[in-house]
Amino acid sequence: MTLSEKYKELVDIAINNKLSVNDTGKVLRIEGEVDTADIKDKMWEIYKNLDPHFKSNDVVLNVKSKVSAGDKVKVVTRESRLNIRQGPGTDQPIVGKAEKGDIITLINKTNDQWWLVRDNDGEEGYCYSQYLEPVN
Amino acid sequence: MYRINNYNDTINLKLENMKLLRSLSILIMILTIGLGAVSCKKVSDADIQNEAQAALNANPDLSGVMVTVLNKVATITGTVEDEATKSYAESTVAGVENVVSVVNEIVVVPPPPDYSALDNAINAGLADALKDHPKVTATVQDGVITINGEIRERDLQTLMEKLNALNPVQIVNNATVK
Repeated sequence: MTLSEKYKELVDIAINNKLSVNDTGKVLRIEGEVDTADIKDKMWEIYKNLDPHFKSNDVVLNVKSKVSAGDKVKVVTRESRLNIRQGPGTDQPIVGKAEKGDIITLINKTNDQWWLVRDNDGEEGYCYSQYLEPVN
Repeated sequence: MYRINNYNDTINLKLENMKLLRSLSILIMILTIGLGAVSCKKVSDADIQNEAQAALNANPDLSGVMVTVLNKVATITGTVEDEATKSYAESTVAGVENVVSVVNEIVVVPPPPDYSALDNAINAGLADALKDHPKVTATVQDGVITINGEIRERDLQTLMEKLNALNPVQIVNNATVK
């Protein structure tokens, strides 16, 4: 069974969303941008169902949901509050915290990992992008 | 005194001339054969081979290519980095004088990809990605992230999402899932 067959459900949703799919035989790569965070979450759910502990080491799922400066983003930490930092890096001082579930504003995407945001108190700083999800 | 109106003398002279002519033509024949032999020697397989190898050696991209010539047929062997270089080696040898055909037995071996830029980018993002997962360690080589240590099952997907976002070639999960 090829990787494309093993992860058919994932490949189908990827193709429907015009993502790049590349099966090297060793690793199935799915990359690109999807319209909503829901599609991204759905893809991770499918991936997790097929490989619950991510131990097969045969998929790279690099999917981002579309978001632009000025859009609202939701804090999606598991339980803790999200640090807002002075600069883009975990070595930077914490200038504020956002509650899980808070909806805050994206000022710009500094890089893939760090986004500049403004919280509801007007405080600005950088958050780790994996804990932010666009609100559609 | 020499008189050609003497019949016998005339016959003798004619005979002398014919002998001379015959010797001359034999000499010419010998010379021709001799010259032919010399020119054959000039285009020996060894000479063609030397010339063909010199033509290959002139191009650093073809430094891994060897040529042998047998009956004016050149056989090229060795390795090059791509198909275009393989064809170029063939046309280089085909262009050498007296080569009648080329047997191309070159093997294409692409150079290993350079992952250093990707490794640097992944390493730059790794500390932030692992910050909330202190019991996980990670190494990066040739674009492959290998994680060790231990992680709680409920944090695993979060970590995997962070690592996948670093756009690695592969993620090898050797961490113990608790």
